[in-house]
This record gives sequence, C-alpha cells and structure tokens, in this order.
Amino acid sequence: MASPRSTAVANQSQVVKWVLRLLVVGYLLMLVAWPTAYVVKHTFADGFTGIQDALADPDVVHALKLTAQIAVTAVIINTVFGVGMSLLLVRHTFIGKRALSVLIDLPLSVSPVVVGLALVLVYNGRFGWFGPFLEDHGLQIIFAKPGMIMATCFVILPLVIREVVPVLEELGDDQEQAARSLGASGRQTFLRITLPSIKWAVVYGVVLSLARALGEFGAVKVVAGNVGGETQVATVLVQQKYQNFQQETAYSVAFMLVFAAVLCLIVVALLRPKESQR
Amino acid sequence: MSIEIKGVNKKFGDFVALEDVNVSLPTGQLTALLGPSGGGKSTLLRIIAGLDAADSGTITIEGTNATTLPPQKRNVGFVFQHYAVFKHMTVAKNVAFGLEIRKRPKDEVAARVDELLKLVHLSQFAHRLPSQLSGGQRQRMALARALAVEPTVLLLDEPFGALDAKVRKELRDWLRRLHDEVHVTTVFVTHDQEEAMEVADEIVVINNGRVEQVGTPDQLYDEPANDFVMGFLGEITTLNGVMLRPHDIHLSLTPELAGAAEGTISRLLRVGFEVRATVLTDDGEEVTIVLTRTHARQLDLETGVRVWVTPAAGALTMPSLAAAAG
Repeated sequence: MASPRSTAVANQSQVVKWVLRLLVVGYLLMLVAWPTAYVVKHTFADGFTGIQDALADPDVVHALKLTAQIAVTAVIINTVFGVGMSLLLVRHTFIGKRALSVLIDLPLSVSPVVVGLALVLVYNGRFGWFGPFLEDHGLQIIFAKPGMIMATCFVILPLVIREVVPVLEELGDDQEQAARSLGASGRQTFLRITLPSIKWAVVYGVVLSLARALGEFGAVKVVAGNVGGETQVATVLVQQKYQNFQQETAYSVAFMLVFAAVLCLIVVALLRPKESQR
Repeated sequence: MSIEIKGVNKKFGDFVALEDVNVSLPTGQLTALLGPSGGGKSTLLRIIAGLDAADSGTITIEGTNATTLPPQKRNVGFVFQHYAVFKHMTVAKNVAFGLEIRKRPKDEVAARVDELLKLVHLSQFAHRLPSQLSGGQRQRMALARALAVEPTVLLLDEPFGALDAKVRKELRDWLRRLHDEVHVTTVFVTHDQEEAMEVADEIVVINNGRVEQVGTPDQLYDEPANDFVMGFLGEITTLNGVMLRPHDIHLSLTPELAGAAEGTISRLLRVGFEVRATVLTDDGEEVTIVLTRTHARQLDLETGVRVWVTPAAGALTMPSLAAAAG
C-alpha cells in the first residue's frame, strides 16, 4: 500500500519524467527534425519536378557521381586500414602505441579545413614537398580526385577503428588461440574467426564513414578545384547553387544527400535484428 | 616418452614463471600439472602448445623438436579454461573447424563430427549455437573440437575451473573414462589436488616455477619429497614437532598410549560427515584432528574436554623442522 506521501513523490517523478521527455523531444525537433523536414518540404514543393530539373543539370549528375566515387573509394581504403590498425592496436604491444592511439583521434578534433590546407601544402604541384615530384611522374593530387580521396580518408580515419577496437578488446584472443592450436594459419584465423566476430562493428564503422564521407565539405573543398562538371562534389555544389539563387536545385541535391545517409542507417537497422534472432 | 621438456626458462618481465624445468611425460598417459595459482603450470602448458615461447630450453613432442614450431604445426589439441568456443558457429561447425582447415573431404568431416559428438554426448545439440549450451556442455564441445584433429597430445588448461562443483566432479569422472577409451597422451593443469589424484596416472607438482616432484598419486601422497608437496596434497598439522595429516591422529579420553600429548579441545567444527577438532596441548601446540561424525559422537566430544592425542599407527610423518626452515 502506498502512503499519501510516496504517492506525492511518485506524482512528482512522473511530472519530472514528462518535462524531461518534452525537453529532449523539443531539442531534437528544433535542431534536427524541423530543418530536415524543411529541406524535404522545399524539395517537393512542386512535386518531383524539383528533383527532375536538378537531375537534368549535367553538373549536378556529375557532382553526385563524383561524390559517390570518392566516398566509396575512401570508405574501402579506410575499412581495410581501419581493421588492420585495430588489430595492431589491440593484439600487439609496441613502443608508441598510446601515441598512435591518440593520433588516430586527431581528425575528430582538427577542423577539416585545416586538413585540406595541410594536404595542399604537402602535395601541391608547385611548391609542395612531394607535389612536384609526383606531378612530374604524371600524378596530380591537389585539384584532382586523389587529393579529394585523401582528404576524405583523413576525415573518416577514426570511425572504423573506434567501432572495432572495443569489440576486439571484449572478444579477447581466446578464440584466435584456439583456432591456431587447431591448425589455422594467421590468415585463416582472421577470415574464419576474427572477422565474423567483428563483422557488425565493421559494418557500423563503414556506414558511419560512408555517411560522413558523403557529407564532407571543408577538407574536400580546399583540395578540390571545385570546377563544375569536373572537380565539384555534391556538398560544394549545394553551396554554390544556393548562392547562385538556384535554391530549388540546392534543396533537391541536399535532399538526395540526406536520403542517402538515412538509407545507410535504415539498411543497418534492417540487417541488425536478424543477427540477434539467430 | 611423448613430451620431453628440457631446461625450460620463462620470465615475464622480472617475474620468473619457470626456472630450469625438466620433465618427461609418458605416451598414452593422463598427466596432471598440479600446483598453486601463479606457480607456472599454465605457462608450461602454453609453452608445450606453442601459445607462449620459452626464453630458453627445448620441447620435443614425439621425437620432433617443437621448440620453434608455431602452434598450428605442433598437432596438439588445446582446451581452455573459459572454453574459447567459436561463438558464431554451431556446435557441429566448431568441432569440424580443425578438419575443415585441413581440407578433409566433406563426408569424412561429417562422419567424424558425428562420431565425436556421440563421444561427448552432444549429438542432439549439433545445430545449436554455443551460447545455448551450459558450461559443462561447452567444455565437452571444446574437448571434441580438440580431439577432432587427432592430436598427438591433448592439453587442458584448468578445464573444469570455471564450472560448479557438481558438474566439475561429473566431468572429471567422464574425462578419466574418455581417456581410457581414446588413449591420447593428455596433460591437464589443475590447482585442485583432489582432481589431480582422482584423474591422473601421473602428477607433476609445480611451485614457484620449479618442479617439486613427479610421481603417481600414491607415491606423492605416501612419499612426498618435501613439506611443500605434503602440504599441498592434503591438510597437515603438527604434533610433538612432526607434521602429519589430521586424520592420522588418534584421540582418546584417557591416556591409553605412551607418549600421548595431553590437551584441551578448544574448538569443534562440523562439516558434513566429518568433525574437525582443534586441540591445544599443554606444550602449547595447536593440533587439528579430523574424525568422523560417528566417532566424535561415540567419544562425546565437546569444547573444554581433556584429551590425549598421538600419531596413529602407520601414519605418514615428516619432521616439521623443514617447515620452519622453508
């Protein structure tokens, strides 16, 4: 039996609960939901004509293709590197391990614009450290795809590693040792034991990096030439179109970027429950 | 001799895990490495398996120098304390792992997995995931997995350490029977002397990184090489300056035997069928005596009663000077 006093306390905690909920929902609404909904509303103000018009513009199509190319390439590189790096960090001890671990977080704290500038300083064809040498051998980095991929790689560097490392740590190396004692080579152990165990962490890392790579603006803008139809990615195009009073196109492309990111998250959410049911 | 260990040393930083260990483990037998935690027995087992490398010394397995071989080339089966099951594979797939790595034909693998699951009584669980098994079942699966590759030696690292007492006892009996069936040279690590004595043909007592004694359970119990072995294999107490087992002491209410020490019962503790009495002798010694519940009741023992205690006829004794020195 609840005394009047404890009922009062319960009522009070109910009120607090509702206030907190309202606060959180309101915060998310103002910050995320409303602005995004606004983009969607503007995109479909005239039905699908906005998107059709945007897709009729060759610059838009090229920018979207370029963004996809760069994002996919960077994510593939980052996944291979990230998984390897995670294994190195968790399974091996070496001098400078902690320094390396801190360094990996650097892209989270450094502004992407700075990253872009740094790449330009090192790789530009006229006075960079490696730039002239590489350009003499027919490889242009700055104002071309390689530079844009490098900038994106830098920005998404920690995303796979930070997903995989905790899972590897929790996993321990018992199973790997068991596999070795049963005759598996290092490669077989990785493919049959380690990889299936960290599969979901890798998928999450990939989706996060993909979403981040699609939306990257600062670093890519600095290293890319931003010539429409050549070296202009979708995010930069959105900015340019918006400033050129082509809001309709800007909204449509922005919507497509949001849509791609949401699609990534939905795919993971759909894949995930199957795993826990098994 | 199946496994020859010669002059093995191993350090972890400043900590000496193994110091000049020399042991020969015979083929086809079940050997226990027994000792307290941190004594180096697990390290020795892992060095035999190739999961750790010795700083110096050699390991020979069935005549092959295995010192520098990686684990996957040693053909040993290893069973871990915490099972190390492959969580994402079914029980059957776990057992088949070693065979699939060796690229055996599919029907052969299936037949062997069937046979092994029968051996460890897990046939009906073949298609479950390890997370759906109990601890004891997981460990049996791990054992089947290790046996699948027909290892030259089977190594078990505290195999029953993570299980509850009852399951532990069952698995212990089962391991003994399994060994009598399969006859693979088996080495297992344990800190439980009862487990070692019940299961093993031969026991190697390891303490502080050194081998204290090697022998059959009876040899170790009846002729311990030193006071550490004697103390580790069973309880000990001191009476008249000698060490002996608490159940090897005769207790009477009258001075029946010459040389009996007189004292008072200071504490009585009943644990199931046995009674532990602590007697404070007039010489100031605290002697522990174990009697059966029935015997204690016959004597009508109570705290404060005057008693006479003496080593029973045929009791194993050892001068306790060694204990004082060691």
